[in-house]
Amino acid sequence: MRRRDFITRSFALGGAALVGAGALGAQQAVQGDTTASQSTSNLFDMNQGAARTVTRPPKPGARPSMNADARDGLEHQIRCQCGCTLDVYTCRTTDFACQVSPAMHRDVMALVEGGYSAQEILDAFVGTYGERALMAPKKEGFNWAGYLVPFGALAAGAAAVLVVLRGMQRGSARAEVPVDGVVVPPLGTADEMAKLNDAIRNDD
Amino acid sequence: MILVGELALWVALLMAAWAATTSFAGGALGREDLVASGRRGLYATTAMMVLASIGLWTALLTHDFSLKYVASNTSANMPKVYVFAAFWGGQAGSMLFWGLILACYSAIAIRFVPLKSRDLVPWACGTLAVILVFFIATVCFKANPYDRLSFVPADGRGMNPQLQNPGMAIHPPNLYLGYVATSIPFAFAIAALVTRRLDAEWLGIVRRWSLLSWFFLTVGITLGMWWAYVELGWSGYWAWDPVENASLLPWLTGTAFLHSIMIQEKRGMLRKWNVVLVVTTFLLAIFGTFITRSGIIESVHSFAQSPVGSWFATFFLTATAVTIYFVSTRLKDLEAKAVLESMVSREAAFLYNNVVLVGIAFSVLWGTLFPILSEWVRGSKITVGPPFFNTVNVPLGLLLLGLTGVGPLIAWRKASTSNLKRQFAVPAATGLIVGVVLFALGMRDGYALVAYTLAGFVAATIIQEFQKGISARRNIHGESLPIAVVRLVGRNRRRYGGYIVHAGIVVLFAAFAGLAFKKDHDVQMKAGEAKELVDPLGHRWRFVSQGVSTSETLNRFVTAVGLEVFRDGVPQGILTSEKRQYFDSNKQPQFEPSTEVGIRPSAKMDLYVVLAGVRDETAELRISFNPLVVWVWIGGMIMAIGGLIVMWPQAERRRAPSGYVATLEPKRELAATT
Repeated sequence: MRRRDFITRSFALGGAALVGAGALGAQQAVQGDTTASQSTSNLFDMNQGAARTVTRPPKPGARPSMNADARDGLEHQIRCQCGCTLDVYTCRTTDFACQVSPAMHRDVMALVEGGYSAQEILDAFVGTYGERALMAPKKEGFNWAGYLVPFGALAAGAAAVLVVLRGMQRGSARAEVPVDGVVVPPLGTADEMAKLNDAIRNDD
Repeated sequence: MILVGELALWVALLMAAWAATTSFAGGALGREDLVASGRRGLYATTAMMVLASIGLWTALLTHDFSLKYVASNTSANMPKVYVFAAFWGGQAGSMLFWGLILACYSAIAIRFVPLKSRDLVPWACGTLAVILVFFIATVCFKANPYDRLSFVPADGRGMNPQLQNPGMAIHPPNLYLGYVATSIPFAFAIAALVTRRLDAEWLGIVRRWSLLSWFFLTVGITLGMWWAYVELGWSGYWAWDPVENASLLPWLTGTAFLHSIMIQEKRGMLRKWNVVLVVTTFLLAIFGTFITRSGIIESVHSFAQSPVGSWFATFFLTATAVTIYFVSTRLKDLEAKAVLESMVSREAAFLYNNVVLVGIAFSVLWGTLFPILSEWVRGSKITVGPPFFNTVNVPLGLLLLGLTGVGPLIAWRKASTSNLKRQFAVPAATGLIVGVVLFALGMRDGYALVAYTLAGFVAATIIQEFQKGISARRNIHGESLPIAVVRLVGRNRRRYGGYIVHAGIVVLFAAFAGLAFKKDHDVQMKAGEAKELVDPLGHRWRFVSQGVSTSETLNRFVTAVGLEVFRDGVPQGILTSEKRQYFDSNKQPQFEPSTEVGIRPSAKMDLYVVLAGVRDETAELRISFNPLVVWVWIGGMIMAIGGLIVMWPQAERRRAPSGYVATLEPKRELAATT
């Protein structure tokens, strides 16, 4: 590489690094500003005031829309907002002494008693807290990228590997083409090569 | 000693900077005296880091609350073991601990470089010293455990109760030992790239340190799962938290490297790919540290408003840029020395395995970062929790499990049809039988069925490989079964140690699949009240409350509930779960109350009891039946043992040129080296 190219590349890479660091640093600053408390320990500090009320008037002649098991299943899909990263059911039944998940649980129970379906309850929570009320993004719009990109990347990677392997195989085949009319005898029959491979395998 | 430690930290920074400068200068100018000076600078840095660490431990153990770190993370009434462990319990201390391990690793790696690789030393030493400069500077300027308070409090804040657990004392050090060990392969990769000495020599060093890193990450991740399960009380061991993901990323790419390095060693192929994996593993360790230390991503472990994030981001991006530059300018030196002969060969199978491992790493990274991306694109925050990760990663994990069994069965270079039939017949039949039997017994969970079918297949491949090797030894040497097993493994440590790791993977996946049958129950119980529940295997459990009791111990008030447990009418003893309120030496409450879980482990299923709270003398409990959890710890241990066997140094055997002779038509002999 010429010196000029090296300097150009170095500046380009350095600039990209600084711009990226700046962007991430800014993101971190924004994130930091919204964090309620400081901590030097490596466990989160709970935000006990994060609960908001999610209410809807009961439907006419309402009856509970689901049993306790289904309700617990629904609560597994709703995220506690205290900062613990757990779902409402898990958080309220464990040891974080959280006041947020019990409040959210009460809202879920009231909506169940009011005759609302699971989807309606999820929509109500999303309406109040935003989409972060859900434990996983809804499968719609841009969120599909979240679900599909890993598989797309794997498929692309696999395709790339296959192309590379095919290319290497062709290279291998070309290498076996006789040069200047000289015929290279095969090392052995396919069965002999298999025997040899087995022998080598037993020694790796 | 505390003052000495503080001073030593600053001297270590200067020494590391000296070591970096002189090593690079020595390498560039070809001056051995400068290289030697750089090496000595690295050793001096290590000595200073040891002193700095002793200083902090002294401050912690003597309760010097004038230091902000000591006051923030310990209290006078904490058990000594946790005071000692507080060294890595907080941000600043853990950064110093990281630097300490890196300095020790660096000194060992540079001291024991083989003679034939001496050319790499200036650049490897310089790279390690630069990493040390970064970490020590971060400690000195952004997270200094020697920062002092303007007053001396009578007592400290204490340690979060959830960290006061034996798992906490051993799990983080293991993870750090794993993370930091990725620095050594990275440094030698950079050295090999700079010097263009990209032949097999540097691979030996890199492989040893990659194995060490893999071993400690495996142990650390397993201990972390165990700690989460027994301490956090949410009845699970893996929540796809960003910190957990951060530990998994270098483990995945490191595992991929440990497979693909075999192809380079045996066939001279995948040389570019291996360099990329080595540096990616290191960069992911740094990136994982950045995302968890910066607070950029919400995590149960995160260090909120930590000031080190932008430093890590800058370091990560700079290291990435330098790496890309060196790799992109050395592509010609990294051309493969052999060609692939068949798509159905051991080499190709390892490559498929690599694609899946890296694919899983990408999907974990993608899911971890997707909330940020989504916020940038759409402006709204979303949560990417376990349902997302399970949706994406479970199919990939099952694919990986299948490949775990396929790889060892296929011959190097090219597999013939007869070879495939012979090798796959029994394992494939075993997997199929396992799947059919489980289906007939009523298992209907699709993923679990596939997982157990594949587990049966892979387990059969491992048994088949061991059986062949053992039979051969017994036939040839007339050895007894135990002797044959020991000698088979002892004399082929890489191969059979690897199979033992695969056995651990099988056990782990079988245990993971057990969670599909987990059952949780919420119950409220007054003293003397009884409840009956049915577990996933159909056993009837009866719980009789012994009532709520309170007590006081060293540093906590304890509220406990005891349950007398019967299974199918047979007494199983008393299981207790506690709510603890920790207090300082003035009896003032500290932190939120925490729970001690009651666990009755068994091979089939754990009974897991959590006291969520007490209201009007009524205990509110969650009782969970968690199938096969014990096998997660056993699987982790098996993997670690397999890793140890692979790592264990093996004396070079004198290799006779006539290990075996294969006679080929017409009367040609191929003497293969063994």
